[in-house]
Amino acid sequence: MTGGWIRFLAAAGLLLLGLFFEVLAVFGANRFKKALNRIHAAAMGDTLGILFVSLGLMVMRGFSMDSLKLFLVILFFWLASPVSGHMIARLEAMTNQNLGEIAVIRMEKEDREKAAGSGRPGGGDESLPDAAETGPEEKGKSGSGKGRKGAEK
Amino acid sequence: MIGQAYHYLLLGAMILLGVLIIVSIIRSVLGPGISDRVIAVNMIGTIIIMLIAILSLYRNESYLVDVCLIYAMISFLSVVVLCKVYTGVYLQRKNMKANLEAVEDNLQHQEEEVIVVEAEGQPEQKEEEAVR
Repeated sequence: MTGGWIRFLAAAGLLLLGLFFEVLAVFGANRFKKALNRIHAAAMGDTLGILFVSLGLMVMRGFSMDSLKLFLVILFFWLASPVSGHMIARLEAMTNQNLGEIAVIRMEKEDREKAAGSGRPGGGDESLPDAAETGPEEKGKSGSGKGRKGAEK
Repeated sequence: MIGQAYHYLLLGAMILLGVLIIVSIIRSVLGPGISDRVIAVNMIGTIIIMLIAILSLYRNESYLVDVCLIYAMISFLSVVVLCKVYTGVYLQRKNMKANLEAVEDNLQHQEEEVIVVEAEGQPEQKEEEAVR
């Protein structure tokens, strides 16, 4: 009897821990303001939440075919969740034009400006337009330039 | 006694997950961008997988775990397809906005086609074309 209660307590602890992580994930996804921060919160529920809930259910079930399938669910989710998170982040980085400057891109730009400044002083700005600098203004310029060419014809 | 404890534990977990699904649906409706909505849909998929796994133990039906596995695959596929589709939609819109020359070209071609069709249909239009 006590063995049953110990197993119940272990299963309940793991299940409630998983539910706690899922609550945190949903709370974070509603609380953060930007989509990339929301991905960060939602990925926690995708990995730790489903890990602890499935572990709790496996402890509850014992050794059986169901436990193996739940383990497969965990394995599949840990393979698939980073891929889907990466795709959502790429969609956000591609479509959102006022995303703000990401720290890595800013660091690369500073390095490039430093290199350009040491090579040619004063010509750092227009040397290499990279993805961070070509914002909506640049795209608009190129589009209107094409339009002007068409009008001249 | 212990059966009742399991019953209440699983029931409470399922009720909590249902509340979380409703909150996620609210986020997916409110989300300002398309990626916020995709994130919320992905999170709903995760919660539903947990719900099905808990339900399989609650009802003691082992085939529901297979449903859970298949649901995980379809949820992942749906997120990938949604991302691809909205990337394509965004690129198409941007190219249409950027390439004004092509739009003018298309409009000219359309006008020429309309004139040709009208000329074939009515003999008066042919005279107009000759005048041109």
